[in-house]
Amino acid sequence: MRVLSQLCERTVIIAHVFPRISTQNISTQESQDQIMVQHTMMKLTTSPGLRSEIYVPNTPKPVWTPLQKPLSQCSVAFITSGGIHNKKQTPFNTAGDYTYREIPSDTPSDELMVTHGGFDNSDINKDVNAMLPIDRLRELRDQGFIGSLVGTFYGFMGGGGNVDKFRNVTGPEIADKLKAEGADIVLATGGCGTCHRSATIVLRACEAAGMSTCLIAALPPIARQQGAPRITAPHVPIGSNAGEPNNKDMQTGILKDTLEAVEEFDHYGQLKMLPYEYRHNV
Amino acid sequence: MSLSQELVQEHLDDPAVLCCRRPAGTVLSGEDFEDPTIFDDMVESHLMTLTDDGLSIRQALGGTLASDAEALTQLTPDMLDAVAGISDTASVKQPADKASHQPTAAAPEPVMPSVVHPAGAASTLTADGILHLHIAKGEGIDLDLPLNGLPRIAASNEEGQSAGVDAHDVALGGAVSGETDAGEAAAEGTAVGEDAPDKVLRTLVKRNYPVKQVVLADTTSYGDGVLSIDTSLIDQAKQADPLVKDITMDVIEPDERHVYSNTIMDVIPIAAKAEGKLGEGLTNVLSGVVFVLTGMDEAGVQIHEFGSCEGYMDEKIRFGRPGCPDDGDIMIRVDVRIEEGTGMERRGPFAAHSACDVIIRAIREKIATLSDEDIAGTEVFKDVRRSGRPRVVLVKEIMGQGAMHDNLLVPSQPCGVQGGEKNVDMGNVPVVLSPNEVLDGGIHALACIGPATKEITRHFFREPLVEALQHDEELDLTGVVFIGSPQVNDEKSFVSGRLGSLIEAMEVDGAIITTEGFGNNHIDFSENIEQIGSRGVPVVGVTFAAYQGQLVVGNPYMDAMIELNKDKKGFENEILADNTLTSDDAKRAILMLKNKMSGIAIEPPERRWDEEVIASNQKLVQ
Repeated sequence: MRVLSQLCERTVIIAHVFPRISTQNISTQESQDQIMVQHTMMKLTTSPGLRSEIYVPNTPKPVWTPLQKPLSQCSVAFITSGGIHNKKQTPFNTAGDYTYREIPSDTPSDELMVTHGGFDNSDINKDVNAMLPIDRLRELRDQGFIGSLVGTFYGFMGGGGNVDKFRNVTGPEIADKLKAEGADIVLATGGCGTCHRSATIVLRACEAAGMSTCLIAALPPIARQQGAPRITAPHVPIGSNAGEPNNKDMQTGILKDTLEAVEEFDHYGQLKMLPYEYRHNV
Repeated sequence: MSLSQELVQEHLDDPAVLCCRRPAGTVLSGEDFEDPTIFDDMVESHLMTLTDDGLSIRQALGGTLASDAEALTQLTPDMLDAVAGISDTASVKQPADKASHQPTAAAPEPVMPSVVHPAGAASTLTADGILHLHIAKGEGIDLDLPLNGLPRIAASNEEGQSAGVDAHDVALGGAVSGETDAGEAAAEGTAVGEDAPDKVLRTLVKRNYPVKQVVLADTTSYGDGVLSIDTSLIDQAKQADPLVKDITMDVIEPDERHVYSNTIMDVIPIAAKAEGKLGEGLTNVLSGVVFVLTGMDEAGVQIHEFGSCEGYMDEKIRFGRPGCPDDGDIMIRVDVRIEEGTGMERRGPFAAHSACDVIIRAIREKIATLSDEDIAGTEVFKDVRRSGRPRVVLVKEIMGQGAMHDNLLVPSQPCGVQGGEKNVDMGNVPVVLSPNEVLDGGIHALACIGPATKEITRHFFREPLVEALQHDEELDLTGVVFIGSPQVNDEKSFVSGRLGSLIEAMEVDGAIITTEGFGNNHIDFSENIEQIGSRGVPVVGVTFAAYQGQLVVGNPYMDAMIELNKDKKGFENEILADNTLTSDDAKRAILMLKNKMSGIAIEPPERRWDEEVIASNQKLVQ
């Protein structure tokens, strides 16, 4: 049956594409295949020599720093490309901005805000911990789940980011500063699609500088394609990458699972889907 | 990374490079080689060098390492004790294989260009109307022949050639003519002549009424080229939504465009149905004038901007793009101020669009009944079923991520708001519109994304790719599929999967897929292309990528791509619609699809965006 159906299918194609086949002046010796090719050329206006206009990327080379200490002794940093900054700081240019804002890790969460044009802001407007879980991190430190927090977190607007600037300026600068502050682990959230790319570039710089990093990704395909060393992925929409707004349990769970994944992953490029699901009803 | 058996076959003629450290005595197999697709990156990053005297994987397979060797070492003849096939004349890389550096090799053979007989089987259709089927070898074959279908096979011609099969019989199952109803046509299996006429499914006539002057007055009317708008409509518009706090309206003449403006959310044609429903009958269009919707929130933040085109309108609009005002157009600007903090939430921008539509609606009511005396010209659009021509589908990916990333589908009036369904509320699943429905204002765009890449309402009203495909007599355009780009990764996979099933059911011979924006929607874009390409359907992808929007993901089916960038440096430059699809882009996309459907190779892209590639492709378009 399969053979026949293939034959029939091909027959349909012959008829379908080349209805005027019997009118063409083709000698009887020529095979049906040749007729097909000849007619293809006659039916469609073509012009050889076209080149595909867009490069499709390969994932970059691995970069890897294994975690050397238990979580309870680690100093943890958090960065986000989701456009978070202090309300008193200059907002980001939403068209694309490679600058970053220093956010002291003791900043009250109600002093933070979002400037980002790449996704629905309503979740962050409700609770900034949905993108930068600063309150949850302090709780985990106070509980002793992690050793300490670095003095400064970093916010940037990774949407539409200038790849070279992130790779050559922003990434190395943030990595140097976090290394100087003694970070062992750097966690990050992306935001939009290109934000995931920007966050991954900065994390790769941190990993190269000797810190163990993990991206909490709402868009794991981008994180993976861009070469994030470690990825955890809760089932959340972009805009609340670190968990549902005002859902303390979910935010804490995502952070704890992510930190444990940093401990557990033993090679570059691992991805773990996390069992948290939040559907943003916009 | 080592190579699977499948990848080894694909890369036999690529350089053999060790993936990992290997001791002397190792007999080389696929798992010892690095994946050649990363070599370009590695060489570029100075992480490795390749010499011309190295072995190919084909040559190195089965050889034995003479001494220990490090990872990423290129294998040369002196490193192996025994080399298989080294005397082969095949060099490391044949020019014909060049494309395999790009992820093209896995793309299945296009369906159209040649007939491939299943192994050991052959068939002929001969003058006696009998299907001769020869199967040389096989097992478990069941044959069910639908003999009542065979009489439709045309008799051979006088020269005794292989008989043709009439397209209409097989593909459509019936004869069709001019205005025949689809149902009747499908029911009958009558044979038809070889020059079966195209079947017109529906006709849309846009009647253009010229506007030379727009006045804001105390009544709404149109006559003698003058559009008058009742200013009390502004108060009505303010009532459209509680989030709307203030509205101003002014008229901007073509020679007075150096006017500061808030960011431009939309450009909306003024069009009303005079007869029939959306996509057919008569549509009255006011030509030479458009509405331009702008706005900010109460705190002075621009509405729904991923990038903003606030600034002087003569500098921030690429006049003449399909979505934009044209050079001579009068702009009626409606500037809406909405509640603080709602500009980046879904409800805020929608409130602004709803308010603006209150004003346009009042004009639509007046122009719906215009007589044909004042017509300056007409445009006729036909949804045509071109039997026997390759069936193609256009897939347009639209934003679907809440906030401002939303669109209204099939409103009750051209480019209107009322009656439209939001693609976000429909779960972003693929929805088919006829080409005429699209061109009759079937999409009211709420999308924000970057101003330079967003497709706004006027863009769809005169979408160049829809128009070009609809007019192309070599192709049978089946329809236009709109698919949203959702916010959640799982949902992205879900809607892409539905697109795949839809394409399969449509039995198309080719597809073009476009997307506005860049970044996360490129996940959907690549997955949508894979869903189509993996079904053996030749597919061309169209998007802005250039420098700033470099693809974040990719797959082997993305080997025929059209770049929409028009910015010199390849950026989302915040000039309204600058990097959107034009008729030139449409021509390149269609040519690329025809080439691909005909089995003509599309050369792999440059590794970096280069506008020269676009220019040289454009030269090949007639």
